[in-house]
Amino acid sequence: MLWVDKYRPKTLDHITVHEEIAQNLKKLVTEQDCPHLLFYGPPGSGKKTLIMALLRQMFGVSAEKVKVENRTWKVDAGSRSIDIELTTLSSVNHIELSPGDAGFQDRYIVQEIIKEMAKNRPIDTKGKKGFKVLVLNEVDKLSREAQHSLRRTMEKYSSYCRLILCCNSSSRVTEAIRSRCLNVRINAPSEEQIVRTLEFIGKKEGLQLPSDFAARIAEKSNRNLRRAILSLETCRVQQYPFSSKQTIPPMDWEEYITEIATDIMKEQSPKRLFQVRGKLYELLINCIPPEIILKRLLYELLRKLDAELKLEVCHWAAYYEHRMRLGQKAIFHIEAFVAKFMSIYKGFLIATFG
Amino acid sequence: MLILQSDIRKWFMKSHDKSNATNQAKPSPAKPDPEKPEARGQESSGRKKTSKYFATDKNKPKDEKEAQAPPAKRKNPKDSEESKKSADNTPIKKSKSGSGRGIPLKSPDLEESDEEDNDKDAVPPLKSGGRGRGGRGASAQSSAGRGRGGGRGGFMNFGERSEPPHKGEKDVPEGAPDCLAGLTFVISGTLDSLEREEAEDLIKRHGGRVTGSVSKKTNYLLCDEDIGGRKSAKAKELGTKFLTEDGLFDMIRASKPAKTPSQEDSKKMVKKVLPSESKSPQKAGAKDAGSQSSGSASTLVKPKAESSLQSSSMWTEKYRPKVPNDIIGNQSLVKQLHDWLAHWNEQFLDSGNKKKGKKQNDTGAKKAVLLSGTPGIGKTTSAKLVSQMLGFQAIEVNASDSRGKADSKIVKGISGSNANSIKELVTNKAMGANMDRAKHSKTVLIMDEVDGMSAGDRGGVADLISSIKISKIPIICICNDRYSQKLKSLVNYCLLLTFRKPTKQQMAKRLVQVAKAEGLQVNEIALEELAERVNGDMRMALNQLHYMSLSMSVINYDDIRQRLLSSSKDEDISPFTAVDKLFGFNASKLKMDERINLSMSDPDLVPLLIQENYINYRPSLASKDDNGLKRMKLIASAAESIADGDIVNVQIRRYRQWQLSQASSLASSIIPASLLHGQREILEQGERNYNRFGGWLGKNSTMGKNLRLLEDLHVHILASRESSSGRGTLRLEYLTHLLKQLTEPLRVLPKDEAVKKVIEFMNTYSISQEDFDTIVELSKFKGHPNPLDGIQPAVKSALTKAYKEESKSRMVRAADLVTLPGPKKAPKKRIAAILEPADEGPEQGGGDALEESEEENSSDTEELEGTPTGEKLQSELESLNSKAMQVQLDLKGTGNSKAKKPAGRGKGASAEKGGQASRGGAKRKR
Repeated sequence: MLWVDKYRPKTLDHITVHEEIAQNLKKLVTEQDCPHLLFYGPPGSGKKTLIMALLRQMFGVSAEKVKVENRTWKVDAGSRSIDIELTTLSSVNHIELSPGDAGFQDRYIVQEIIKEMAKNRPIDTKGKKGFKVLVLNEVDKLSREAQHSLRRTMEKYSSYCRLILCCNSSSRVTEAIRSRCLNVRINAPSEEQIVRTLEFIGKKEGLQLPSDFAARIAEKSNRNLRRAILSLETCRVQQYPFSSKQTIPPMDWEEYITEIATDIMKEQSPKRLFQVRGKLYELLINCIPPEIILKRLLYELLRKLDAELKLEVCHWAAYYEHRMRLGQKAIFHIEAFVAKFMSIYKGFLIATFG
Repeated sequence: MLILQSDIRKWFMKSHDKSNATNQAKPSPAKPDPEKPEARGQESSGRKKTSKYFATDKNKPKDEKEAQAPPAKRKNPKDSEESKKSADNTPIKKSKSGSGRGIPLKSPDLEESDEEDNDKDAVPPLKSGGRGRGGRGASAQSSAGRGRGGGRGGFMNFGERSEPPHKGEKDVPEGAPDCLAGLTFVISGTLDSLEREEAEDLIKRHGGRVTGSVSKKTNYLLCDEDIGGRKSAKAKELGTKFLTEDGLFDMIRASKPAKTPSQEDSKKMVKKVLPSESKSPQKAGAKDAGSQSSGSASTLVKPKAESSLQSSSMWTEKYRPKVPNDIIGNQSLVKQLHDWLAHWNEQFLDSGNKKKGKKQNDTGAKKAVLLSGTPGIGKTTSAKLVSQMLGFQAIEVNASDSRGKADSKIVKGISGSNANSIKELVTNKAMGANMDRAKHSKTVLIMDEVDGMSAGDRGGVADLISSIKISKIPIICICNDRYSQKLKSLVNYCLLLTFRKPTKQQMAKRLVQVAKAEGLQVNEIALEELAERVNGDMRMALNQLHYMSLSMSVINYDDIRQRLLSSSKDEDISPFTAVDKLFGFNASKLKMDERINLSMSDPDLVPLLIQENYINYRPSLASKDDNGLKRMKLIASAAESIADGDIVNVQIRRYRQWQLSQASSLASSIIPASLLHGQREILEQGERNYNRFGGWLGKNSTMGKNLRLLEDLHVHILASRESSSGRGTLRLEYLTHLLKQLTEPLRVLPKDEAVKKVIEFMNTYSISQEDFDTIVELSKFKGHPNPLDGIQPAVKSALTKAYKEESKSRMVRAADLVTLPGPKKAPKKRIAAILEPADEGPEQGGGDALEESEEENSSDTEELEGTPTGEKLQSELESLNSKAMQVQLDLKGTGNSKAKKPAGRGKGASAEKGGQASRGGAKRKR
């Protein structure tokens, strides 16, 4: 089993990184009825872990007995009926699903399926916990229409159904939904916290972990705890005992994007653009989300860029990212960004060096 | 540059206007407007070309020549021009002499002045002429954009012909319309100033013939450089004369001022002939042709008057072939049809016994025949003629008749039940020839336009097939598209005869006959052009000719070009052609309407093709672009526009804003194309210089597939209950590490140990063999080493083997993909859920439910476990050392599982049973 999963805290009491939040949550669910919750924070900060621990706090061990269901729903959408396939993870008391997976049909998931689930089976009418929980992942990926449909559901069935929403950025969740929830911001753990966690794992596994190596992993992980642990284990697979000089292998896709960025910086020509397009397609084919590609590409480019261009490039990256969300064919927009960058940078180079 | 182009456009429009004016003014202007064809030549030459520049010293002699050359250049304001023309609009006969064109309308010199400044480079000051300008605009662009000049002649790449070195710099002479009559030319290599299409056009306009390869009949090989290609070798072998472009010009020019077209001039014109000087046969030929045609012209004028009076019926009917031999082209098919029909009776009606044996041999074996081919090439005519010739009585049923499945209830004779009468027809013994051959004429059923059987004709094809099976008479089916989906079943029962388009020569021959009969004065070259334009459609050719004959009695090459320029737009245009045109060198001359039409020819595919290829174009707009910055900027704005198009497309598709479709095509096709149109160049070694098919479709579907695979992996990992991360996280953060865990041991550890370790890991996360492949597949990047490199094949196979071994004793993993029925049954479930006893606390409740489900399952499948508690089950599962997901029937399921049993039992239940019982199921599943 991977260390990430092995050492994942199972209960609110065991949570180390966001102790305060965990304690508050515990009080919240033990003392009174729980409101709708919205967890948001960067990846690898522990949202999911907190949610799982919270569910366990609410429903006890039964919350851990989940099953996976892949179900096709037939939804009537006006004139035609649509088949939507959706994977849910459910225990008796909660259901977890990622409505964003359905792409632009997410509206139907919210309108039909979530509503169906929400109004369905208020189990335990006589018990003390007269509600069940619907965990929705990646609500920030939901389209605007879907979010609008969600808010009515939240109110209507609030008596016996709680929603726990989980997302990376609360700014992509509409105001209406945010105001209906208790917002819980989960910060990315600080580097010290990460180091501490790594050392904890090292101790449990009986490893010799040089402290500066741990610090380097923490630094490289970009304050993403999950990544830190995963790369620690990768390093372990690659070389043990650790040396503090050991290279930390980058993610395959990050490496590839770095390559693309180098390509772009090296030459700005149609030919190069064509090659870059091929590489971008590679990334997309390998299921790297386009937003991540664009963001990472920008990051890599900025590292190598002159200060005076940074602002402009950032502006364009934001511009194209926005448009990418409006559009459908991500490659067109990323390519447009690359072309734009090339023309800007080329102009800059020519102006500077002639 | 832009100004210049717009000027050109203006000028074009003017010349169109002019020509229209003349056409309307008189039915028989007979004087070809010298400017029109050039204009068109320009337009039509919108192909990719790359140019190579010759040493410019060639220029000089030519300039001198031009200086001597007679063309009387006039500054002619438009109105005087017009007046001149109307003066010319006198008797037809006069036109022959070419006096009308004695004064070439060399130049609307108006534009010359305002673009003088643009001209200077390398352009001899003397020259003017409309075509010069149009062409020069282009050549100036290209010279700027193009870095590689140099190398002389030859084909650089397949499909890439160099551009004329002095493109548009020379005056194109005007000559008597038939001054080249009877001569055959072959063009080879790059000419000095003309595009190849222009040269062809020029020759054709003057009555010459252009063929593709050198043969004995070829009179001249037109080439400006001896590139030693196949053509010139052949020409040398055959002793064909070589002719330079200037020589050609002189030939044409020479013919012009003379009132008498020929002898002397043609002597003169041949002087330029390069190697061999024997000229007499050509001259004679030229002369003969000239005199002959002029003779026939005069003789034909009279008959026309009478014939046009009586010819009230349509030409297509009037000149429909009367005997099979009249049919143009496809004679062998007609013959086949004939044979088939002739032997039909013997084959299918004589005796049942013989039939079997005969079915083996070919043509006669099918009871029906299916003629297919494009419209207007004589399918129906052939069918009718052949049956007529063989004495069959043809009964034709076409799309205008209802041809639905015959309804047995309808009694024969009720109107609209034509289908029944067909049925009647084919089954009727009396009609059968063998019954009373003597009394009745034989009958044949012609089912025309069978591919049009649709909507209204329910079951038409099926019924037709059954009719064929029982038919007592031959059936001839006719369709346009034999590969049509509808006809798929039909083709098995038919003898297939695919009609091909007749060649233009064949068509022209027939058209000449028609023209003669109608007293229409047309030369053969013009008719060939017509034949080419209509794309093999004889009927259309006749219609066009008929139409033109109403307004004029002498039709020449230009009239036909002009007439069909507009009609040619109607034909289907492939996305590739559309993109070619949009990006083409002359794309800036396209009108907005044309562009919209092109991009709308396939609103889905054209944008994709544009997106795929826009980078490859060297934009004409970015002339004098030394460092490529302009081009990069253009590309950036094109890319942005394409992205705009995508956004608009979302609005269209998702919110059904179809009124935006023009905006979409504007943003996604027209703007990028207009920014970047120019010459295409290749970006990758070995790539062909043609537009690639859009890559997006393929990549997108691969992405979809990979996402599905990833989702499978995700579900499996979720099912292992070890991780609960999302799909994105799985890909972005886990995957690299998972791959390491899965492959690294195989690389470093000894075989058995490694395999054991990996299998163990896979079991922990319920990763199946397929998931393993998915992980590897998703980690592959082009240009990076394959993640499986360095693993011995032996180890790999050991892994596979070990996994298979394991999987026998493993609980069903794929069962996590149990598909349960959707919410249709929801109400029942809910009732069931409510009815359920729920007096315990939530935890208990959970266990209870579990137990419940257990009971259901076990009872379903005469069970080992009896009724274990949730805990017990849990421990049992642990002990099985496979944390495979434990498929429980959902609570809903348990309540009304009576209704749901089949679904639950098949998969979920066997999973619950764990160990033994599931083995069978597991095997079945894999």
